[in-house]
Parts: sequence; C-alpha cells; structure tokens
Amino acid sequence: MSQALLEVNNLVKHFTTGTQTVKAVDGISLSINQSETLGLVGESGCGKSTTGRLTLRLIESTSGEINFEGQNINDFNKRNMKKMRKEMQMIFQDPYASLDPRQTIGETIMRPLMVHQIGKKKDRYNQVLELMEKVGLDPRWVNRFPHELDGGRRQRVGIARALAVNPKYIVCDEPVSALDVSIQAQVLNLMQDIQEEFNLTYLFISHDLSVVKHVSDRIAVMYLGKIVELAEAEELFHNTQHPYTKALLSAVPVPTLEEKPHKIVLEGDVPSPKNPPSGCRFHTRCPFAEARCKVEEPELREVGSEHFVACHLV
Amino acid sequence: MKEVLIEVKDLSVQYTSEGKEIKAVNNISFQVNKGETLGIVGETGAGKTTTALAIMRLIQTPPGKIRNGSVQFDGKDLLQEKESVLRKVRGNKISMIFQDPMTSLNPVYTVGDQIAEVIWLHEKVSKTEARKKAGSILELVGIPAERGSEYPHEFSGGMKQRVGIAIALACNPQLLIADEPTTALDVTIQAQVLRLMTNLKEKLNTSMILITHDLGVVSEVCDKVAIMYAGEIVEYGTLEEIFRNPSHPYTQGLFNSIPNMNKKVRRLTPIVGLMPDPTEIPSGCSFHPRCPKAMKECKSMKPGNIQLNGEHKVSCHLFDETVVRGRVETNEPSTP
Ligand SMILES: Nc1ncnc2c1ncn2[C@@H]1O[C@H](COP(=O)(O)OP(=O)(O)OP(=O)(O)O)[C@@H](O)[C@H]1O
Ligand SMILES: Nc1ncnc2c1ncn2[C@@H]1O[C@H](COP(=O)(O)OP(=O)(O)O)[C@@H](O)[C@H]1O
Ligand code: SF4
Ligand SMILES: [Mg+2]
Ligand SMILES: [Mg+2]
Repeated sequence: MSQALLEVNNLVKHFTTGTQTVKAVDGISLSINQSETLGLVGESGCGKSTTGRLTLRLIESTSGEINFEGQNINDFNKRNMKKMRKEMQMIFQDPYASLDPRQTIGETIMRPLMVHQIGKKKDRYNQVLELMEKVGLDPRWVNRFPHELDGGRRQRVGIARALAVNPKYIVCDEPVSALDVSIQAQVLNLMQDIQEEFNLTYLFISHDLSVVKHVSDRIAVMYLGKIVELAEAEELFHNTQHPYTKALLSAVPVPTLEEKPHKIVLEGDVPSPKNPPSGCRFHTRCPFAEARCKVEEPELREVGSEHFVACHLV
Repeated sequence: MKEVLIEVKDLSVQYTSEGKEIKAVNNISFQVNKGETLGIVGETGAGKTTTALAIMRLIQTPPGKIRNGSVQFDGKDLLQEKESVLRKVRGNKISMIFQDPMTSLNPVYTVGDQIAEVIWLHEKVSKTEARKKAGSILELVGIPAERGSEYPHEFSGGMKQRVGIAIALACNPQLLIADEPTTALDVTIQAQVLRLMTNLKEKLNTSMILITHDLGVVSEVCDKVAIMYAGEIVEYGTLEEIFRNPSHPYTQGLFNSIPNMNKKVRRLTPIVGLMPDPTEIPSGCSFHPRCPKAMKECKSMKPGNIQLNGEHKVSCHLFDETVVRGRVETNEPSTP
C-alpha cells in the first residue's frame, strides 16, 4: 500500500448567499496516494470543483481537516501556505478563461517561476522554453497571446504553467471537457506522460465517465455534496454497488453495436443542494428506495476490499 | 424501397470574415428517408451547424452565403423558394432544436404560453384550444402541465431542453433537425432526453437529423451516419457499416481517440495535428496533412466519392483502385 499524499476528513463547505445556504460539500473524506490518480465524478453541481478547490485551500472550508504530507494545512498561516502552494497546482476546464488575455504565453508560464522565485532570473526564459517543449508547444509561440491559440494549445499552456513550480499534486478540473475528441486524446496522453515523468499525484475531476475510467486508479462518485461510492476503477465499473453509480454508468452511451446493459433511466432532476432530501439524498430518484432511506442517512462503509458504499441496501 | 423525405445535393456555403473566404460546407450531398434518423458527426468547425442552418435557409447573409446546391423537400427546392414559403415550412414541416436550450426559449413569457403560441400560429385553432394542447404536449415530454405557468429560468437545463423538443414537435413536423441537443446536459438527463426523442420519433414517424460529436449517442439513436471533416462528408453509411467497418482514416482516427468504457487501453491513439484553418483548406484530400496513410496522390488530387458495399461510401484514395494500382506501378521502377 502506497502512502497517502493528501487526506481529507469530514470536509464541509456551505456557501451562504442572503438567507439561503448551499451545502456544496457536506462531509466528505478521502485520501489520494502518492503518484496515484483519483477520479472524481458526478453530475453538474454535485460539488466536484468545490472539493478540488478546498483541497488546495483556494477557498476556505466551513469545517474539516486537510492533511497534505501529514500536515493539516487548514492550520497554516499565509506564509506557510504560500510555500505549500508550490506543491499543489490546478488545471482548469476552460483554458481560455483561466489565462490572462493580456499576457503572452511566455509571461504566463514565467509568472509562477517569479512568484515562487524559482531559478535565477537569467535562466527563467530558458526554463519557460523547456516547459513549452515538454508540453508539446512550439517555442515559437512564446510571444503569442492566448486568443491566437486553439483550445488544445491553450490547455497545454495551462499544463505548463502548473508544471513550472514542480508540484507534487495537481487538481485537474475537467481538463479535456472543452476539447474535441481528437485533441482530447492528445492532451490526455500528455497528462499521462508528465505524471510518469514527474511522479505527479492527480485529483481528476470530470463528468465524462469514459475519460475518468481511462485515467484513474481509483474513482469517487459524488451526489449532492456527498461521496456515495469509492473503489478501484475496474472494481467500480465491474462490481458496481450504489444504485446511483449503476444508473450513471448505464446512462453513458457507449460507441459500440454490441449488446448494451439495460439502461436505468432516472426520473426527474438532481434536487437543489440548498435543500437536499432527508435521509439518503438519492432517495427521491432511487428505484430501490425503502422507508428508512427517507429518514436515515447511510454512512460510507467499506463493503469489500477498498470498496466503499453509502447505501442501506448494500 | 424507402421513401426519400429530403435530399440535399451539392450544397456549398461560405462565410466572409475579415476579407477572407471561409469554406464552411463544400459540395455535400445526402438524403434522409421517411422515419429514419441520420447522424451528422464531426468536430468543432466541421460545418455541421452551417449545414443545418442552410437546409432551413437560416444562414445569415452577410457574412454567410449559400453558394451552390439544392434541397429537395415536399416537391420543392427550398433554396429557390420565396421567403414566405419557407416561413410556412419552418417550425411546421421542419423544426429545429439547438444546443443551448435557452436560445429557443423567450425568458419573458411562460413556458406554456410559448408552446401555445407555436400551436396557435401553425394550426388554425382557438387560443384556449392551443393552451390545452400545450399542456398535453408538456405532459408528453414528462413535465406536469401545471408547470406551464412557470418561466424558463425556473426550469433546469434538462427541462428546458425537453421544452425545446416539445415546441419543436408541437406541429408534428416531418423532419426534426437537432443540433447537439444533449451536449450541454448531464448523462442521466441526456438519457432521459434521448429516450424521449426516440419514443416520439417512433410514435409520430418523424425523420430526424441529429448533429453530434458523440459516437456513443450516434450508436443509440441513428440509422444512418455521415462523418464530416472540413466541410465535407468523408464517409457515409448505415450505422452497421460505419461501426463495423469504419473505412476513412479520419473515421478510424475518431474511433481510436475516444476512451471506450468497455475496453482497457493504456494509451489513446489520437489523430495528429489540428483541424485545418477553414480559410486555407489543404489541397487534394483535406485530411492529408493528418492522415497516417496518405500517399503522394493525396496531396494533389481530390478523392471522389467511392461506393463500397451496400450504402457505404467513402471519399479516400485508398479505395480508388486506379490510384492504388497506379501507385504500385509508379513505385516499381524505384525498387531495385
Ligand atoms: N461561490 C459560490 N457561491 C455560492 N454557491 C456556490 C459557489 N460555488 C459553488 N456553489 C454551489 O455549490 C454547488 C456545487 O458546485 P460545484 O461548482 O462544486 O459543482 P461541480 O460538481 O463542479 O459542477 P459542474 O460539473 O457543473 O462543474 C452548486 O450548487 C453551486 O451552485
Ligand atoms: N457567422 C459566421 N461567420 C464567419 N464564419 C463562420 C460563421 N459561422 C460559422 N463560421 C465558420 O464556418 C465553419 C463551420 O462552422 P459550423 O457550421 O459552426 O461548424 P460545426 O457546427 O460543425 O462546429 C467554421 O470554420 C466556422 O468558424
Ligand atoms: S485520400 Fe489519402 S490523405 Fe485522404 S484520407 Fe485517404 S489516404 Fe488519407
Ligand atoms: Mg465544476
Ligand atoms: Mg455547431
């Protein structure tokens, strides 16, 4: 068993706007091992991005613990946190919105080197060119601006910027969702290569289950701010336990003519996280819900080796 | 023999932008039979939306212009008819659903009123009658009739898209053109919407053109498939033909690029390079700079449409015997 690089315990984030409270993340615990990819899946609004940002302390948690290399970073002051930032980076879904339109590609990748005072001033330009080469960007683009690049190249800039500080942990928030399939495959391969080369640990957030299965060692499934199932990737797909995971997997249109498993089409929409259902949050859409599901909240329990499920029926 | 509902022939559309010509759609031809669904598959910029808009003659001019072609529907060439004739066809005989469910809904009217208005405009019924029918159409797409009194912003994305479908189907169109109708939706909601579209299509015998970049969605709802690249249809066939025997190197590249949940591969095989700049489409076969099988001829000669088995057609020199044989001959002298 490899060692946990990141571990969160009972993490909670409630956003309050006016009189209403959104329970975006409502008590989740998970750990990510050194050099591992943990996939985080779930439908829009279930709290994936919020979870990712919390682990980096880009937003402050309402309560809970975030241990990075055994230290609770929630207790860190500004100065220590800035040092820690070097170890933890993020790649975003929309590579355009996350790049400053007035900065050239070179300046964008140079910035984290300056902020964290990495390397000597005179070497930084060469470091930038090396990083560009590493992520498959022609160094001739160094003085271009983000709007001159296509989505795939912009995402490579985002990756180079994250790599610049030589981090250990990267939160990848839907890094290929905005890209066309042929470009998506190029970027996924690049992310795999740099993970191997730099021994990176990923939290890989996506709503695309095929992509998540391809990249992840283990996968956590979220529903309305909670983790409902967590297991090793093959185990999750072939020994699915939670009714929500079953529905989610069966809903994915697989590009094949082979016989497909029966689709479980869920009725209705995901309820609002402002007012999540009582008991098991999934009970309003669950085809198997029983009386106790409405009142009693199921805990995330280990049901097999390293396989965790939160459901009364399992 | 199936009855043809719509036949598009030699359609070309161009846009002018900053003084440059963008060849968005180049000489494409296809037909859709009654009750069938054609999937048009391609990546961003391939010309899918432009094709759909051209069929409805909704290309904004300028910057766009339909350069060439015909669209035979109901005994008429839609590209030649007067605007007044087209207005009767749109939303009546042919309707369209867009990717962003918000664009088809007006935020200041209730959902029920919007559906009723479509019915009232297209069918000569009273307003009360139209309202009643609007309610039953909402029920048909799985939304309680009483929610018709709500405004679009009170609906979730999936509900809005189902309303879009309700409006598009309100007048029993013969053809439904759906442009990436589920791309913005979560998979469980996508499953609801796709099931709804397939059920309605079967019940009403509507024909459909489904535009998508998702081969998974294609495998679940389409009968025929057209693969588009740089404004051209590079491969066409029945669902079986395309999925069992993808033949164009681009189609093969698409299949290899997507991670497949049922198969474990360590690394994906992407298509190298990028989509071409639409103002400078490569000579010969427009795919040649990215094609792993490109030959000398591919750079200079445009491949014709080559008929394979059944309805399967492909536009690639690899299937042209004269090119392939000629190539062997030209190669021979150089082999010692
Ligand atoms: N700054 C904020 N203020 C108020 N509510 C917020 C804020 N950020 C997120 N939320 C709410 O928290 C919930 C979880 O949001 P989050 O962005 O984490 O979801 P997600 O799973 O990443 O969704 P998506 O797949 O759409 O990106 C949503 O209901 C969202 O509206
Ligand atoms: N209004 C417009 N003005 C200029 N160019 C356009 C316009 N609409 C589309 N195009 C161009 O036409 C080509 C095809 O676009 P489109 O039909 O939207 O493709 P798709 O729907 O397959 O993504 C692209 O190169 C696009 O940039
Ligand atoms: S015509 Fe040539 S370049 Fe084009 S797809 Fe066929 S082999 Fe490749
Ligand atoms: Mg998100
Ligand atoms: Mg489009």
